[in-house]
Amino acid sequence: MSNWIPLWLHKLSSPPTFYRFAGTLRPWMMAFALLLGAIGLYGGLVLAPPDYQQGDAYRIIFIHVPSAWMSMFIYGVMGVSAFIALVWRIKLAEVVAMESAPIGAAFTFITLVTGSLWGKPMWGTWWTWDARLTSELVLLFLYLGVIGLYHAFEDRRQGARAAAFLAIIGIINVPIVHYSVTWWNTLHQGSTVNIFGHSKIAWDMLWPLLTVTLATKFYYAASLFRRARTDLLALESGKEWVRQIAAREGKR
Amino acid sequence: MKNPGLANACAAMLRRDLTLAWRRRGDIAMPVLYALIVTMLFPFALGPEDSLLQRIAGGVILVTILLSMLLALDALFSSDIEDGSLEQLVLAPQPLALMLGMKILAHWITTALPLIVATPLLAAMLHLPAAVIPVLLLALLLATPLLSLLGAVLVALTAGTRRSGMLLALMLLPLCVPAVIFAAGAVAAAQQGLPWLAPIVWLAAALVLAVALAPLACAAALRIALDA
Amino acid sequence: MTVADPATLLLEARALSFHRQDEPVFAPLSFQLKSGELALVEGDNGSGKTTLLRILAGLLHVGDGELFWRGQPMHRDTCAGDVLFLGHQLGLKTDLSPRENLHVAAGLHGRHPEKTSATVLADIGLCGYEDEPVRRLSAGQKKRAALARLLLLPATLWLLDEPYANLDRVGIAMVNRLLEQHTAEGGAALVTSHGSVSFHGGEPRHIRMHA
Repeated sequence: MSNWIPLWLHKLSSPPTFYRFAGTLRPWMMAFALLLGAIGLYGGLVLAPPDYQQGDAYRIIFIHVPSAWMSMFIYGVMGVSAFIALVWRIKLAEVVAMESAPIGAAFTFITLVTGSLWGKPMWGTWWTWDARLTSELVLLFLYLGVIGLYHAFEDRRQGARAAAFLAIIGIINVPIVHYSVTWWNTLHQGSTVNIFGHSKIAWDMLWPLLTVTLATKFYYAASLFRRARTDLLALESGKEWVRQIAAREGKR
Repeated sequence: MKNPGLANACAAMLRRDLTLAWRRRGDIAMPVLYALIVTMLFPFALGPEDSLLQRIAGGVILVTILLSMLLALDALFSSDIEDGSLEQLVLAPQPLALMLGMKILAHWITTALPLIVATPLLAAMLHLPAAVIPVLLLALLLATPLLSLLGAVLVALTAGTRRSGMLLALMLLPLCVPAVIFAAGAVAAAQQGLPWLAPIVWLAAALVLAVALAPLACAAALRIALDA
Repeated sequence: MTVADPATLLLEARALSFHRQDEPVFAPLSFQLKSGELALVEGDNGSGKTTLLRILAGLLHVGDGELFWRGQPMHRDTCAGDVLFLGHQLGLKTDLSPRENLHVAAGLHGRHPEKTSATVLADIGLCGYEDEPVRRLSAGQKKRAALARLLLLPATLWLLDEPYANLDRVGIAMVNRLLEQHTAEGGAALVTSHGSVSFHGGEPRHIRMHA
C-alpha cells in the first residue's frame, strides 16, 4: 500500500503511459492557465489600486515577478530531472529536462525585459549590475548553453545526457555568481537595488500576483506536456505504440 | 604482469603532453601573441591617457588572458579524440580523473604559464603601477588553473560534437564570472591601497575545490561524450 | 595473466543488444569466449561489429542484456587492464615516434616483464623506424606501430577492430602469428574483419552479426 507512489511513478515514466497521461491533462492545464491568467491580470491591471509611489508603473510586477519565479522554478525542475536522467537513464527525465530548457529560457528572457522596462521609471536606468539581475542574466546564458549543447550532438539522447550534466554544473554556479556579484557590489559601491522595497504588500496586489503565478505554473505544465509528447513521438518513432498512433491519425 | 603504478602513469601522461607541446612549440606562442595584440588594441580604442589605462589595466589583462585561454581550450582533447588516444586513455587501468588532471596540468603549463610570464609586459603596456603587478600575478596564478579546470569539464562535454568553439564560449563565460570578479577585485583593491588578501583567499579556496572536483566531473563528462 | 585452466570462461554475453536513437544496432547476441579461444566477428557493413567491440571494451554502455567477465558482471573495475582494444583510430600520437608511443602505453597499462619496447618493435617489423615520428610512416607501418602494443602490454582479451586493414601479406601473416601465440598462452581475442582469414592453429569461433 505504501509503495504505490513509486510504482505509479515508474509506470508513468514509460513513454506511452506518459504520452496518454499528458495528452489528457494538457487541455485542462492550458484552460486553467488561460483562466487564471485572465483573472490575475484583470485583478492586477484593473482592480488593484495604483501604488502611492510608483503610480501605475509597478503593475509590471504581475508579469515580472511570476516570470522570475518561474525562471528559477523551471531550472530547479530541469536540474532534478537532469539528475534523474544521468543516474537512472530514464528517457522521460531526459525529455522533461531538455524540453524545460526553452520554456525556462523564455521566462528568463521575459523577466529580464520586463525588469529592464520597470527599471527605467523606477531607478532611471535600463540595467544595473546588481546581484539579482546579473544572476538572472547568467541563468539565461546557462539555459542557452544547455539548449546549445543539446542540439550540438547528433545523437539526441547523448546530447540530453551531456546537457543534463551542464545543467547540474549550472545549479552550483548560480548561487556562487549571486554571492560574488554581491561582494563585487560592496567593493564598487554601485547602486544597490532593492526590488521589494516595501515588504508589506497589500492584499489587493497580492492575490492577482499569486493567481498569475499559479497560471504560469499551469502554462509551464501544459507547454512541457505538449513539447514532451512531440519529443517522445520523435524519440520512439520506431516503437509499436507510436506506429499505432500514426495509423490512427492516418485514418482520420 | 607489471603494474605501472600511479606515479608512473601520471609521469607518462605528463611527459607525453609536454613532449607533444614541445614538438609544436610554435603553438605555445600563439595565445601570448593573441593577448599582446588584444592588449595593444585598447590604447588605440580608448586613447593613450595614462590615468584611464591604469584604471582599466587589471581588468583588461584578466579578460584578455581569459579569452586567450578560451581559444586554446578547444585543443585540449580534440587531437586526442581524432587519433583515438583518448579511447586508449579511457580504457587504461588507471583512475581516469587523475589522468585527466595530468592532462589539464600539462595544458595549463603550456598555455596559461606563458601568458602569466608575459603578463608584466602586458601590464607595462597599460601602465599598471609596478607595485600592483605581484598581486596581479598572484591572482592569475590562482585564477588561470581555475579556468583551465572549469574549461576542461566543458570541453569534455563538447567532446562528442563537431562545432564547439562558440558553444564552449557560451558555456564557459557564465562560469567564469566569479573567478573574474575575485581576481579583478584583488587587483583593484591593491591599486587603491586596500587590503587585497580576502579575494585572493576566496580564489584559492575555489581553486582547491576545483582541483578536487573538476577532474572527476571531467572524467564523467568525457564518458558521457564518448558513449555514442 | 597465464591461466592455468585452459578452459576458463572469460567473457559471456547474454542477449546483448544496443540501441542508437532507439533503433537496435544489432539483434540480441549471446556468446561465450573461453581462454585460448579466438572469435571472428562477421557481418556486413553497418551490422554493428565496431559497436560490439566498443561495448565489450567498455566505451559504450550495455544497452540491454548482460555481460560477464570471469563470471562477474563486466565493469570497468572488474576487467581494467585485462582488455586491450585496438580500433579504427590507432591511438598513436603522430608527433611521437613508435618507441615514445609505446612508452606512453606501457606507462598507462603496464607491460610484460620480459619484453621491452626495442624487442617488441623489432618483432613487429619496425626495425630502423623506432625513432621516426609516426606521421612519416606509411599506413601499414602505422598499423604495425599500433599492433606493437599487443605484444608489449599485458592483457588477456584482445579486441581487434579490422586488424588486417592496410597490412601487406607479410603483415597479415604476422597478425595471425600474434593471435596464435596469444591464444596458445591462454589469452583470447575477438577480431572483426571483412576478409576471409586463415588460421593455422585450429578453427576460430564465428560470431555472426545481424542488423
